[in-house]
Amino acid sequence: MRDPVRLRDEGASALERALLAAGTSYRSSSETRTKTLAALGVAGSATLLAGAAQATTLGSLAKMTWGKLLAAVSIVGAAAAVPGYYAWQRHQTAKHRASAPVAVAVAASSVEVPDWLSAPAQSEQVNPRARRGSINYAPLAGAPNDAPAHAVRPVARPSVTLAHELSSIDAARGMLARGDAAGALARLDAYGRAYPHGRLSLEAEVLRIDALDENGRGDVARARAAAFLQRHPHSVLAARVRTRLGD
Amino acid sequence: MTAAAVLDTRDLERAIPGVHVPAPPRTGESQARESQTREDQTRNQRLRGLVDTHIDFVARVLRNSGTPHAEIDDEVQRTFIVAARRLDDIRLGAEKSFLFRIAYNLAAHARRTAARRREVAADQAPEQVERFATPEALTDQKRMRELLDGVLDQMDENLRATFVLHEFEEMSTAEIAEALGIPRGTVASRLRRARSEFRERVAAIEGFGYVDREGQG
Repeated sequence: MRDPVRLRDEGASALERALLAAGTSYRSSSETRTKTLAALGVAGSATLLAGAAQATTLGSLAKMTWGKLLAAVSIVGAAAAVPGYYAWQRHQTAKHRASAPVAVAVAASSVEVPDWLSAPAQSEQVNPRARRGSINYAPLAGAPNDAPAHAVRPVARPSVTLAHELSSIDAARGMLARGDAAGALARLDAYGRAYPHGRLSLEAEVLRIDALDENGRGDVARARAAAFLQRHPHSVLAARVRTRLGD
Repeated sequence: MTAAAVLDTRDLERAIPGVHVPAPPRTGESQARESQTREDQTRNQRLRGLVDTHIDFVARVLRNSGTPHAEIDDEVQRTFIVAARRLDDIRLGAEKSFLFRIAYNLAAHARRTAARRREVAADQAPEQVERFATPEALTDQKRMRELLDGVLDQMDENLRATFVLHEFEEMSTAEIAEALGIPRGTVASRLRRARSEFRERVAAIEGFGYVDREGQG
């Protein structure tokens, strides 16, 4: 059974290509990656943060087969389809202006997207919120939107601060893994002083709960765990805290 | 205590070149701990590899399966946390399918929660007029993203999953069949229907924009 050709290789329209590019070009942020590694407890070290992102990109490029390389190039091309679509559309709009002035007057005003597109239209009644889906082509024609192409971007390095935060958390985790719960707690205290509103403060708190428990202070650990769950019941770390609580 | 002793020994060896301090005899406990450490390292390496290799894939699947943008961060983390818990169940080479299933289920949950919130908000919140309507408020990419969300949101869940994996993730029908746990023939027929729906809806948008597919007006 032969695989069907992708839509974008099959004579898709400009808008179809632009929409497909929008779906293809989404990337996670470097902060998401950092937080994910921290949540998993596999951050490694600050070196990992500084180098892995680009090393991964270059490394994977070096290992790419020609097929994959072509696919990557096609993604870049597809990503460029978005501004391309607008350029094409402006061209078409200009053509319309010349040939059909009445229609242009309408097209240049705010155009409503059909109900089924403007999200959850669940009744036949006029829903003012549906207007959120409207497209205004007129200012777009003059808007400075020609560049830049939405090419595949390299994974950005996380900020230095975030890298330092992760490094501190990682060091505390390492101490705890080696059985040095007191050392881990001291390290977490230092983290709290250095980053009172740190972006990894939830991860630090969960680690502290683990360290307190390991350090023979189960009551304090349980109290902090209960407080954590009360404040962040839907946190991605809540399950881990619940496990610690024995729920 | 053991770890501290090992560290001191290494420090001594570093400080005095040529000096080798013999390691203390290993007890059963220290052997077990070393073995555990090695296992942890292997596991951590695999987890880290999963994140580095598949985090963009997971984020895209979540986004294209209807997870609200503001929740992508949390759902990416959740996906990998679930995967970490079941790491031993993930067959080598089948990581992508495994992660897809987790992400897809989480996206379905997030979508339902968001829909419930929208219903509540529609009852309670004051009218929000044209929040996204001006071109200043949206970049081209965001505009396209919203249009795409609108198109995908109208698709049946099964068709959407097939479409997302084929058109955005460039997975083969065999890979999609494995990820969704369905026969390849079913993948092919779902894909045909999904593409047909996609084209119809895009054509409708183009019609509303008074520009037809060939740009003839």
